[in-house]
Order: sequence, then structure tokens, then C-alpha cells
Amino acid sequence: MAPSSAISPAASRSGAQLSNTKTTVEFRAALVAMAIVALIPLGVSNPYWLGVLIVSMYFAILAGAWNLLAGYTGQFSLAPATFAMIGAYTTGLLNHYFGVPPLLGIVAAVVVSGLVGLLLGRAVLRLVGPYLALTTLSFAEIMRLVASNSIDITRGDLGLGVAGLLDSRVGWYYLFLGALVVLLVLFYMLLRSKAGLFLQAIRDDEVAARRAGVNVVFWKTAAFAISAAASGFAGALYAHFAELVTPELGLIGQTGLIVSMTVIGGMGTLAGPLVAAFLVYVLSEWLRDVGGYQLAVFAALVVIFARFFREGLWGLARAAVQRWGRA
Amino acid sequence: MSGIDVDLAVNGLITGLFYALMAIGLSLIFGILKIVNFAHGEFYMVGAYAYTLIALALGVPVWIALPLAFVVGALLGWLTERTLMRPLYAGYTSWGLMRDEYAVIVTFGLSLFLINLVDKVIGPYAYRGPPLVETSRVVLGPVLISGHRLLAAGIAIAVIAVTAALIKWSFWGQQIRAVSQNRLGASLAGIDTAKASVIVFMLSGGLAAFAGALLSPVINASPDVGIFPAIKSYIIVVLGGMGSVPGAIIASLFLGVIESFGAVYISFQYRDAFGLILLMLFLLFRPQGLFGEKGREV
Repeated sequence: MAPSSAISPAASRSGAQLSNTKTTVEFRAALVAMAIVALIPLGVSNPYWLGVLIVSMYFAILAGAWNLLAGYTGQFSLAPATFAMIGAYTTGLLNHYFGVPPLLGIVAAVVVSGLVGLLLGRAVLRLVGPYLALTTLSFAEIMRLVASNSIDITRGDLGLGVAGLLDSRVGWYYLFLGALVVLLVLFYMLLRSKAGLFLQAIRDDEVAARRAGVNVVFWKTAAFAISAAASGFAGALYAHFAELVTPELGLIGQTGLIVSMTVIGGMGTLAGPLVAAFLVYVLSEWLRDVGGYQLAVFAALVVIFARFFREGLWGLARAAVQRWGRA
Repeated sequence: MSGIDVDLAVNGLITGLFYALMAIGLSLIFGILKIVNFAHGEFYMVGAYAYTLIALALGVPVWIALPLAFVVGALLGWLTERTLMRPLYAGYTSWGLMRDEYAVIVTFGLSLFLINLVDKVIGPYAYRGPPLVETSRVVLGPVLISGHRLLAAGIAIAVIAVTAALIKWSFWGQQIRAVSQNRLGASLAGIDTAKASVIVFMLSGGLAAFAGALLSPVINASPDVGIFPAIKSYIIVVLGGMGSVPGAIIASLFLGVIESFGAVYISFQYRDAFGLILLMLFLLFRPQGLFGEKGREV
């Protein structure tokens, strides 16, 4: 990038050219990672580990969706797991009571969670920082309480049985991977377009973005709705994979996991959260039998990364590559 | 008012007292740094464990274990302030202008860390703390109450009164209020704002841990026991006006009574939802709370 050296680092960071290049590099790295993931079933046939990887992909979608909202737009919602739960219950209830086929239910889940996200996003438009976090946290807890207490409808904590979709675990593996790649491409196209610049401009300085003519109300709400729809999609897929929907999908701990993955991978980077989702989830399953301190270590990493390297593992890797390239 | 109503009111007020111990600290932190500490419930959890383990494992008398729990919470608060909060106002985060977001993530991460650490080090089983007195029930007219709860309520009143008086009249209390009204103005007037933050965090951690210790014979401490008390204190701080100590005390008692009546007359399953709905409504329509005032800018 020739022009970038002429302007200050702060200006070049939000410069269209550089931002696009950065996103493209991240997009390619993410595609390479997904290609590696696609090859895994050739060597691993153990259904347990395939299941672990499928759940990792579920979290990768959620982390990617939350990253779009928090990392790129600066809206720190604490309800990502709740939208997955809403999506799961949408298709679950439709299937359980009306026999709606899973594929149609998943479409309905995307629409419903997207609409709820739109409404919530519109309502919290003026709230920033701690106020936004508290409002979304209470929204999350209210939704979970409703799901677990409406026993007549949702069967509460026992969970709602729903129809499966595929018989083969490898089939599920590639379905989730396909969904993840499609969302990755969509997010990449969104971020590479003007919309991506608008979102990041809002994150960096909302007032300045408004002065520069960005429709802040529209884009903030849109980011909320898109993120919610993607999370609802993941939740709906997961519902048919597990053949069970429980309020546990919306626990604060689940949100904690999503936030951890995003922060460890690198907020506001396209590839980081996706890769970190695999890393965190697979490692935590793998290390479960040895010691089991992994969750505390991951949480410590969240604090350390938040404190010292906002761009997480991705930022560290990039710095290492740059140093190596210069030497 | 029938007998059961008096019983509900008294028990609601007592619950409110314990909420107040939690909420005062949270409110002070908001006042001074304009952040919400999402690890506040874990200070409470650590206090419950500290009291229980010091009393049971080390065999220390409960009346010594109780203040020690406060000390443990205060130390944790001090450590949090020095390592994670100082960058907020000393200006060396890697987050630039996103101070609020940094604070959300770093305290949320701290909360996850403490929960998972305690879960592994001490174990996921519930611990029951030793009660301060063995009297199982005291009858006061229509009100039936356990001896421990009554005594704990009395101690809570004393601690809240001392804290409120210190904030109102002591030298450091006045400085803390000055910093929360206007950080820049206070520092221009020669107040050490960093020291004020340290004191607030230590006080806040200590009070939350003290609440956990007082309630440990009732709550059966487990690693995630702090989540709900923390959510209650968020509700209270928003209702009472973020940063206002009298507001926090009044809102605590109010929430305790509302929940006590709501659980009986409206819905037991949704008793935890009333406050959450209030929280959302307040944040959306009246973010300054019932008693909050806007800080003055220089």
C-alpha cells in the first residue's frame, strides 16, 4: 500500500484501502483454516471428536456473529447465546407442535431471531458501554427465565425434543462447515463493502461518523439484526443436531465462552475468533481429563489479552510474521 | 395488613439489607470510574468461601473469620484496581478511546476467571458456612426468622451505617465524592484520584465479600453463587441512580420488598424477573435512575 506510509497510523487504520487489504488477508487466512478443518474427517472418524468439532463450529459462528457486533461496530451486547437460544426454540417449537420440517424451521429461526435482534438493537440504540451491557444482560436473563419457566410450552429445563435432520455425523460436520464458510463469505463481503467502513467508523467515533454522513441509526440496528440472525441460525442448526432444545443454550456461561473465544482470537479481526473457537473448545474437551484448569486459563487469557493485546492471538501472529518478514 | 404481609415486608427488608451491602460498593465504583464491575458477584463468592474455609478448615472462631472475609475481599479489590483498572484513567490501555468496552470485557473475563479457578481449586460442591448463632428460630409477633438471619441483618445495618457515614463525613469519603462528581476538578483541587479509586475498590470488594460471608450459612456457596446477587446489585444501582449511595440503599430495600411480595402474590417462578424488567425499563427510559444526578463537567 503506497499511500499508507504517507499518512499517520491512526488515519491509515481506518483508510479504505488498508482496511480492505487487512480484511482480505484475514479472510484468506480463515479460508485456509476452514480448508484444514474440511480435511479432518479424512483422518478422524471417532464420532465423539467429530461431535466436538461440530460444536466448535457452532461456537465459531456465534463468535463470528458477536465479533461483527462488538469487534467491528463497538456494541458490547451480552446476549449472543440468547439469540442462539431464540433460534433453537423457534425451530424447536414449530417442529414439536406443528410438525414444520427442520429446513423451514431453520429459515423461520433466522427470521425470528433477526427480528428480535432488530427490535432490541433499535431499543438500545442510545446506550453505550456499561448501560448497553447491563440492558442486554437483563434481556438475556429474562429470556432464559421465560424459556425455563414456561413449562407447559417448552417443558422447561427438561428440554424439548425436536426432529433430527441428517443421520450421518460426517454429514452434520460438512453441513456446519458449509454454514460457517457461507457466513464467513457473507461477513467478508459486508466488511469489504462500504457498510464495513461505516460499522468501523461508528465503533471508532460515533459522533464523527454521523457528521461524516453515516446513517448511524440504520447501521447500528442492522449490525444488531445481522448478528442476531446469524446466531439464531447457529442455534437452530444446533437444535436439530442435538435433537434437543434446552434453556441452557442461553446461559451466561455460554455467552462467556463466546466472548472468550472472540477476545482470545482477536476482536475486530475476521479470522481470529473463528480459529480461537476451535482452539478453545477442542482444547477444553481434550484437557478435561488432565487437570482441568483449562477454563480458568482461558478466562485468564481473556483478561490478559483484553489488557495487553486487543487484537488477540491474530494480532500476535501478525506481529510475529511481520518481524520474521523484516529479518 | 395481615400477619403474612408483615412477615413478607420484614423478610423483604432484611434481604434488601444484604443487597445494599453489595450495591453500595458497585455504585461507588460506578461513581468514580463510570464503569460497571461485572466481577462484583465473584467478590461476594470469594467472601463466602473465605469465611467458610477460614472458620471450618482453620478452626478460627466465626467472629474473627467474618472480618477476615472483609479483608480478603478488600485485597482482591486492591489487586483488581492496580492491575486492571488503573489503565482506565492512567491512559495506557491498548483500546484507545474504547474505555467502557475495555472495562466490560476485562471485568467479565475476571468474573469467568474467578468462577473457574474456584471451581477447580476448591471444587464445584456447595459449602455451607457456620452460622453465627445456633438459635434456629426467633418469633417476633407474626414474623418468624432464624437467629442467624436476624443477627446478620443487625450487623448489616451497622456496617451500612458506618459506610454511609464514612462516605458522607470522613476526609477520604469527601474526596471520593469529589472525584465521582468531577474527576478533573478534584485532581485540580489536589485530590489524589488514583488513591480514591484504590480505596473505593477495596471498600467495594470488602463489602461484597462481607455480604457473602454473612449469607454463607444460607446460600450454600458454590463457584457461581455470585451471579444472581451481582445481577440484583446491577438492578439496584440502576434504580437508585448510578453512583448514588443513598439511592443504592433505598433501592436495595425497595427491591427486597418487591421481590418478597412479588414471589407470593404474582409468581414465584418469575421472582427474579421483576427486577430485570425494571432494570431494562429504567435503562431505556430513565438512565439517571430515581435519585441520580448528572455530574458536572469542567
